[in-house]
Amino acid sequence: MRLIGIAVIVGGWLITVGGLLMTSSTMGRMVFACIGIGVSVLGILKVLNGYYLARAIWKK
Amino acid sequence: MKSLQWKARFLLAIIGLGAALSCASVIKAEAAALTDQDVISGIAGPKTDEIAAKGDPGADLTGTVNDVTIADSKKGLTLADLANQAGQNKVAINFVWTLVTGFLVMFMQAGFALVETGLIRAKNANHTMMMNFMVYGLGLFAYYVCGFAIQMGGSGPIANLGGTYPLNSEHVVQAFGKPWGLFGTKGFFLQGSTYDVGVMVLFLFQMVFMDTATTIVTGSCAERWKYSAFCVSTIGLGALVYPLFGNWAWGGGWLSQLGANFGLGHGYCDFAGSGVVHAVGGITGLAVAMQLGPRLGKFNRDGTPNVIPGHDIVLVLTGCFILAFGWFGFNPGSTLGASGNGCLRIGSIAVNTMLAGCTGSFAALLYMWMRYGKPDASMAGNGLLAGLVAITAPSGFVNPLAACIIGWIAGILVCLAVEFFDRVPRVDDPVGAISVHGVNGLWGVLSVGLFADGRSNYGGSWNGVAGSVKGLFYGDPGQLVAQLVGISTLVGVIFTLSFLWNWLVDVFVGQRCNPKSELAGLDIPEMGALCYPDFQLKTQDYAVASSSNGPVSSASVVKH
Repeated sequence: MRLIGIAVIVGGWLITVGGLLMTSSTMGRMVFACIGIGVSVLGILKVLNGYYLARAIWKK
Repeated sequence: MKSLQWKARFLLAIIGLGAALSCASVIKAEAAALTDQDVISGIAGPKTDEIAAKGDPGADLTGTVNDVTIADSKKGLTLADLANQAGQNKVAINFVWTLVTGFLVMFMQAGFALVETGLIRAKNANHTMMMNFMVYGLGLFAYYVCGFAIQMGGSGPIANLGGTYPLNSEHVVQAFGKPWGLFGTKGFFLQGSTYDVGVMVLFLFQMVFMDTATTIVTGSCAERWKYSAFCVSTIGLGALVYPLFGNWAWGGGWLSQLGANFGLGHGYCDFAGSGVVHAVGGITGLAVAMQLGPRLGKFNRDGTPNVIPGHDIVLVLTGCFILAFGWFGFNPGSTLGASGNGCLRIGSIAVNTMLAGCTGSFAALLYMWMRYGKPDASMAGNGLLAGLVAITAPSGFVNPLAACIIGWIAGILVCLAVEFFDRVPRVDDPVGAISVHGVNGLWGVLSVGLFADGRSNYGGSWNGVAGSVKGLFYGDPGQLVAQLVGISTLVGVIFTLSFLWNWLVDVFVGQRCNPKSELAGLDIPEMGALCYPDFQLKTQDYAVASSSNGPVSSASVVKH
């Protein structure tokens, strides 16, 4: 689960960088960057943090 | 008749040649005389025996032509002497400015130590204080060994510091038809040609910045972090993670070249480090805090958070003042000089810094007062810091009104973020470091892409792109995209690197101290001595108040 989380986080960054290469439009790059940031944040707070929340000390 | 004409022409040619040669010798003699005229005569300084007799109470006789260094005493004062003296004075001013502001930034460590220690419980005070104390030594050494080389080894000449020419080696890979600078390769142990006066000044200034980033993590992980794990984690951050992003943003790396290579404004712009310093520290703090898990008693079984108040608000607010003072080194010092290349903007940068901190604390105070009915002291302090963090990146590019707006938004943002991290992802951040430095560091990076007004001029270009930095509101949406790419890199790459490094630390050292130690307080189990040996400590104080309707971090101490 942690590796999946990391993959999603890095994937978000790749979307951003991919946007730089795939289009020269400023608006297009902005959209790609925003999607990339969103995916990375989701990976951190939902996927990776979800793994730790499932094992949280206060649930035991 | 014809031969006579030829003879006459020949004679004229001989005469002409002779005239030309004599003219040349005259010009040569005049040139020699010009060289002699470089010697400046007629400027007489005050007589030294006169000064010796009377002193100089009016400062009229000190700092005159007598003080200009003369290269050749036989020749006397020359234009070259004056030019060299002017150049050295410029670099000397910039050296002194950069060093003194670096010393101010170094003193911020004391501010961080007080803020963090005040916001945690008394039973962990020695442990928290010692973490803040040792980030200085551990981080410094790691940065000296390899961090500085990775970050600045290929930064190229910095005119304000007299060149720093030895820092000329960047590892660049070619991909997709573009150069991507990844890390520097000169300056390990400050050996070889990097044993250079300009490089030393730059090292000191960059080192204290790195130390600021490492000390942020100790706040988000306080009260449950094993001391040995903290040591190893800090070394990794100072040696590798921080320097990598520092290189990409400040050392000539790929983010700084987004303007030159992709036409995105002036590339990623981060004047003094909202992203490089604060977001890196805050995001690393998030990575480690997630792995550590919350403190015992922070959350109830149903997931609702409890308030765990800090033990000394005096320490907290004193620390905030020290940090605000140190920030006048952090931001204005990032010009790396006070003379030349637009450095006189230091006044504007200092005012922006002051205004954003002021509006940040004001906004946080008002928010807490309106929402909870009391003006919360610790959140007012955190609001001040949030405003300062947010203005760090744009301080050199925006006007005072924009600084006020940036600070105001930061003050609100920090309150919302503290609540968010406690209630939604349930990440325990005892001092609010993730919210102050992580969230507002990212906001600061973004705000450059919005508010940069195109009026700054640091030598005519920034990151190799001519002209001034302009944000979206001043007509350059490309700059906003460059800032978004920087944010994506912080969230996607720097978080991952920090997480992986600390995962290794967890596997080999173990990140979290045992529950018995945590309940007893970490001062005795981890450090072997109490911070307050003569005080009676309350060790089971975590179930203070269920806070279904109140601020929940120990960054807040309001009782509801």
